[in-house]
Amino acid sequence: MIFTGIEILFFTLGLLTALFIVALVKYNKELNFDKWSWITLITGGSLALFCIAWSVSSVLEGVPRASSMGMVVFGIPSIVLLLLGRRMAIKKK
Amino acid sequence: MEKKELDKSNALNRRNFLKLGAAGAALGAVTIPSKARENLANKIDEKTAGDFIKTHDDFPYEVRDDYQPHSNKDIVFSGAFWGFHPEEDIKQSGRAFSAKTYMHFEEKKGFDQLAKALNAGAWSLHNAVTPMSSQGISQEGIFKWEQSRKKEGEFRPNHDWINEHQYQFNNKKEAADCIKRAARLYGADLVGITHRDKRWDYRDFIDPHAIMEGRKEDAVYGWERFPFEPKSVIVMAFEMDYEGIATAPTDVEGAAAGTMYSQMTKVAYQLSIFLKQLGYQAVPCGNDTGLSIPYVIAAGLGEGSRMGNLITYKYGPRVRLAKVYTDFDFVEYDKPIEFGAMEFCKNCMRCAEACPGKAISFDKEPTFEPTYEGANWYNAKGVKKYYMDAKKCFHTWGEFGTDCGSCMASCPYNKPDFWHHRLVDKITAAMPGPVHDFMREMDIAFGYGDVDNPEKIDRFFNPKGRSYNGK
Repeated sequence: MIFTGIEILFFTLGLLTALFIVALVKYNKELNFDKWSWITLITGGSLALFCIAWSVSSVLEGVPRASSMGMVVFGIPSIVLLLLGRRMAIKKK
Repeated sequence: MEKKELDKSNALNRRNFLKLGAAGAALGAVTIPSKARENLANKIDEKTAGDFIKTHDDFPYEVRDDYQPHSNKDIVFSGAFWGFHPEEDIKQSGRAFSAKTYMHFEEKKGFDQLAKALNAGAWSLHNAVTPMSSQGISQEGIFKWEQSRKKEGEFRPNHDWINEHQYQFNNKKEAADCIKRAARLYGADLVGITHRDKRWDYRDFIDPHAIMEGRKEDAVYGWERFPFEPKSVIVMAFEMDYEGIATAPTDVEGAAAGTMYSQMTKVAYQLSIFLKQLGYQAVPCGNDTGLSIPYVIAAGLGEGSRMGNLITYKYGPRVRLAKVYTDFDFVEYDKPIEFGAMEFCKNCMRCAEACPGKAISFDKEPTFEPTYEGANWYNAKGVKKYYMDAKKCFHTWGEFGTDCGSCMASCPYNKPDFWHHRLVDKITAAMPGPVHDFMREMDIAFGYGDVDNPEKIDRFFNPKGRSYNGK
């Protein structure tokens, strides 16, 4: 294999980060986020990316339990924050 | 005394972490010229690692004024195998270990013929060329102290002689860099150089061959037999296989340890030949001649720990250690480092809980004397540290017939070299004590460090199980 699992993971994370930033900019034009929407969405998005990085890395190192725990500890709060940020942004409009 | 500065020996590791972890690194790799990128990486490194790893000018743990160098007679193997102490229980442990190791296999997974054969193969090189070095015996096989010169016209198909011409390095840093590069080429994973310190050398040495041959008057000898005045000690750490150590306490774990004993025998000997061919005197050592742990701490390879082993930044306690004494001293010496491991040990205690022989202390704070009850002649007293009951530990070896390793396997610092573990290490070091309890619980919850788990043996033998570091 040319690329290792970790290399593919971080390349993918780069793409996802770029997509997330594009999405934030696009929706900001439509919804005009306030300070708290920005903070909540960026925190949620960062946590979601970290969750993916952690969980995939744990699978690569062969510790599936750490991967599952990563989804619970980082994944659930990230979903909550992203949903909350979305709600705040829509409500404001 | 204490001075914060960047520790160069670990810079590469942290830089790798930053390269992997920093968002936008991929973009930088394409757009920023390589020199500018290197400068940027160094700056980030200084900002973060400089606060994270401290260096000390002196030995980082308190040593009492009345500290005496440890006697070779007062190590647990000398008591168990060579009768230097009258206690019957330690001799019984020695007999049990001798009977079970290699020769006696069971049906039980991890102690069956497959595991014993694996263990025997791992130890074979060490046991063939430096048989009792692992038990702290000096001058075994190729670890002999003899320093010979090549005679004019003599053909010797070996390199174990001192060159008449002494190579001169341009400066001390170049000397240190070349020696470390040579050690890494031969197979060492971490290398450090420190001053020879008589506190950490054995006070005297035992000669089991004299005991076996009935020459009791020659059974103990001193430093007068050492062929030169050592000035520097080059220390090396060798990473043991993660999945092998995870099988503790079995013969597969023993094989992971034995493999590195064989490796360190080879590398220490090769490095001693390198120094001899540069024109300097050198003696390769494993566990013999001096205490490896304080020497490697002094050379900045890691910190002490509750279990008594070295904890390195990169591999945790999952290392074996070797050293080379030399009279070469035109070299840049390393300094001791601190990255929070000993602080973490105060709250963690996972090794103490995992130890099947209950040999590891549960004390909150390090002490100058052992706090367990009973005989303690096998501890080097007078250093502020955690004291492990080596007799109980060795009793467990006798029960299993192999060197347990549960303490290393359970340690939260024992992780494969992955970015998320290094991140957790950094966060842990930056946090105060109470947070360490939480980190320890999280380590358990995330599924790390359990011992005596037969599934880990299946995983060790599974060819698909070895995918660490993205390889």
